[in-house]
Amino acid sequence: MLRLLTLPKTNIERAAVILALIVILVAIIGPFVTPYDPMQISFRSKLLAPSSMHWFGTDGSGRDVLSRLLHGAQLTLSATFFVLIAGVVIGCTIGIFSAFVGGAADNALMRLADIWLGFPPLILALGFASALGASLQAAIWALVFSWWPNYARLSRMVTADILSQKFIASADALGVPLHRKVFRYVIPNAFDVLIVQVTLDISAVMLAISGLSFIGVGAQIPQPEWGAMIADGRSYVANGWWIVLAPGVAIFLTALAFNVIGDMLRRELDPTSRRR
Amino acid sequence: MAGAEPLVALEGVAKSFARRLLVQNRSFALSGIDITINRGEVVGILGESGSGKSTVANIITRLTGYDSGRYLFKGRDVATLTRKESFAFKSDVQIVFQDPYGSLNPRATVQSSVMESLLLHKRELGKAERIARAGQLLEEVGLNAAWGDRYPHEFSGGQRQRVAIARALAVEPELLVCDEPLSSLDVSIQAQILELFVRMIRERNLTIVFISHDVNVVRLLCDRVYVMNQGRIVEQGQARDVLSRPQNEYTARLLEAVY
Amino acid sequence: MTHPTLAPEEPLLKVEDATIALRVGGRTMVSGVSFAVNRREVFGVVGESGSGKTLLTRTLFGLQDDARLTAGRVTFEGRTLPLEGYGAAVRGLLGHAIGYVPQDPFSSLNPSMRIGKQITEAIYLAKGWPMGAERTREAAIALMAEVGIPEPALAFDQYPDQFSGGMRQRIVFAIALSQEPKLLVADEPTTALDAITQRRVIEMMLDRSRRHGLAVILISHNLELLRQSVGRIAVLYGGQLLNIVPAADVGTHAAHPYTEALFACIPTREKALADIRSIPGEPVGAGFGTSGCAFASRCAYAEPVCLTAPLPLNAGITSGFSACLLGRGAQ
Repeated sequence: MLRLLTLPKTNIERAAVILALIVILVAIIGPFVTPYDPMQISFRSKLLAPSSMHWFGTDGSGRDVLSRLLHGAQLTLSATFFVLIAGVVIGCTIGIFSAFVGGAADNALMRLADIWLGFPPLILALGFASALGASLQAAIWALVFSWWPNYARLSRMVTADILSQKFIASADALGVPLHRKVFRYVIPNAFDVLIVQVTLDISAVMLAISGLSFIGVGAQIPQPEWGAMIADGRSYVANGWWIVLAPGVAIFLTALAFNVIGDMLRRELDPTSRRR
Repeated sequence: MAGAEPLVALEGVAKSFARRLLVQNRSFALSGIDITINRGEVVGILGESGSGKSTVANIITRLTGYDSGRYLFKGRDVATLTRKESFAFKSDVQIVFQDPYGSLNPRATVQSSVMESLLLHKRELGKAERIARAGQLLEEVGLNAAWGDRYPHEFSGGQRQRVAIARALAVEPELLVCDEPLSSLDVSIQAQILELFVRMIRERNLTIVFISHDVNVVRLLCDRVYVMNQGRIVEQGQARDVLSRPQNEYTARLLEAVY
Repeated sequence: MTHPTLAPEEPLLKVEDATIALRVGGRTMVSGVSFAVNRREVFGVVGESGSGKTLLTRTLFGLQDDARLTAGRVTFEGRTLPLEGYGAAVRGLLGHAIGYVPQDPFSSLNPSMRIGKQITEAIYLAKGWPMGAERTREAAIALMAEVGIPEPALAFDQYPDQFSGGMRQRIVFAIALSQEPKLLVADEPTTALDAITQRRVIEMMLDRSRRHGLAVILISHNLELLRQSVGRIAVLYGGQLLNIVPAADVGTHAAHPYTEALFACIPTREKALADIRSIPGEPVGAGFGTSGCAFASRCAYAEPVCLTAPLPLNAGITSGFSACLLGRGAQ
């Protein structure tokens, strides 16, 4: 984490790192510092423009947009990280296993991943929504199940590359047992590639969650998820532009920040630049 | 050596590689070779790229299998070794590879790379003893024990090759297989590592299989030599004799070409 | 080995006080290198990795994009090339007056073009006008025969991947020679090849040089190969030119301490184990500058002065030159 602060080379990267840290901080402490209850409906104070009382205004039901935004950060980010962590765990387990066993099982697993990748996440989300009821949980599981093949393919490729290197032959000559090979040789050497991909995927997953919420198969409307907030504010765009602007800008900036960081990590952790 | 049982005996060992579309691997194949390594010998396996000499290294260290023939290690057919015996085999036979940039785990400190050998094969040692032993080994191969917490990329090629040698020696192997250990090093560093091998041979009771394309190095280092060409052994004998009065036409051509 | 006699005429290539710096950051990598290559001479350049030998030659012949000649004077056939726009000027000579053979025979041929076509194309480019398909084909086949490709008429219609590394390197030579250059620059041309093939390719090149009066600069890390193949050897270390020594003198006469130490590292046909002596420490990288000798930290003879004194430059471009600050190896 400390290393992250020394990596940025340009002001844009510095800004992205600071922004990402702020977003993560907000996601952790946001719910404790909100000026108002994000779910408190108050028809007297509905559609108030941004002011010193309500910095980001209020929405169509009189809820404070800033409070909802701060709450939403936790909801959106924790959903995003859950999708990524679950996707990485499932995907990498399958990918690393596949690379180790090789042969027909490897082929079968990778073709399965290919087929899975061809399946539109939206259809999957609709399926989960009809099975579990439209909810944030349904959207999260839909995304986990459509995301793992990416990591399975990536981790299989990286593992196969690592397994072809001489230090693995050297480990074999020494009789290094399988679990040690996985945890001491493969995972540490695959980590850089994976962390770059995960960082670049943060924005994509966040946009997907917000997108699913926006079309109604994710977080449901009173929930302060950023996508759902935009969906909710849609009908007030004419006389309450701030309702969609605040979550829209939040999504945009967060996605941008994590993308910039991902590109930065890719540059800094590039194995070819580290040799010698 | 007469009467003593050889350490390694390859009898008619053959191996072919599956031919994949557009990839011709045939040049690495072996056709029925016999190799004997006696205890305390330094045996050279001389050949050009594609002669199959690295395949021999992989078979002797059991990193790869073979299609036919027999491999006797200390008189035992290795095909009959149990799991436990196979693991013990790995502390008897170690290998040093050509490329010092690829043969160490980039994510392990050099000390932990050396200690891994001890952790796996010297189970009786405690952690403090392992650390002390790893330090001794690093010093023995000419490195500073205080550098143990550094990662491979902080070292030069020659230093990494020294670490690889320390890691191989840590298990106190009876047989050390060296697969072109000098080839990717700078000229002045090659001489350093050559001197290290000479010292190791003198100080430790090591049997060495030295695989090389370099006639001059083999002549200097090895007692006996096998000359390989296209997966066959074309000539064998005392290095002194073979490399000064070759009987085989290929060996003669090779010797003539060498600068 | 017969050495071409040094004619009293103007050298073919004269490099005076060449300094090479990286384009990005401007760090000086090679400094104060002077040497001359005579017509018909086979000239060797030796150095370990990081010595600057490849950077020097690639920059001198306009092939290095990330470095440039920042000072010095390069004269080819009596014509001084401008320092400003040097790369473009020298590349204008490349391909007819100067031929270049790179190290890797596997990536320097177009894999999807028949080799005959690649050679005839080079002939067209060199001549600048079409000679007629049949005559060009004959010229190409003659050239392929000359570099030792068996059954050249058959090989003419084959693709590079149907040839071994040695044969491919011969094809690269044929392309370089098709332009009838006056100077051939070969950068480690045989490093990727087996010993038997290496000897054949080097001998083909020397033979061509003898018969056609072609000057050659042969760059190698292998001092023994150069000792047996070339007339004079320039020894580079840490981006400095330390020695220019007649090949016949290596191992027999006093030379610069680095040349002697490097030769002592190499197992040759004649040496016994006791004759091999390594050099302690690690090679320094290029970019050492000119104050102090780059080799001083590893040199057995080094004295305090070696670390700080300005390095002697080969100002007179003498044929025997030693940069040793203690005067070792001076002729």
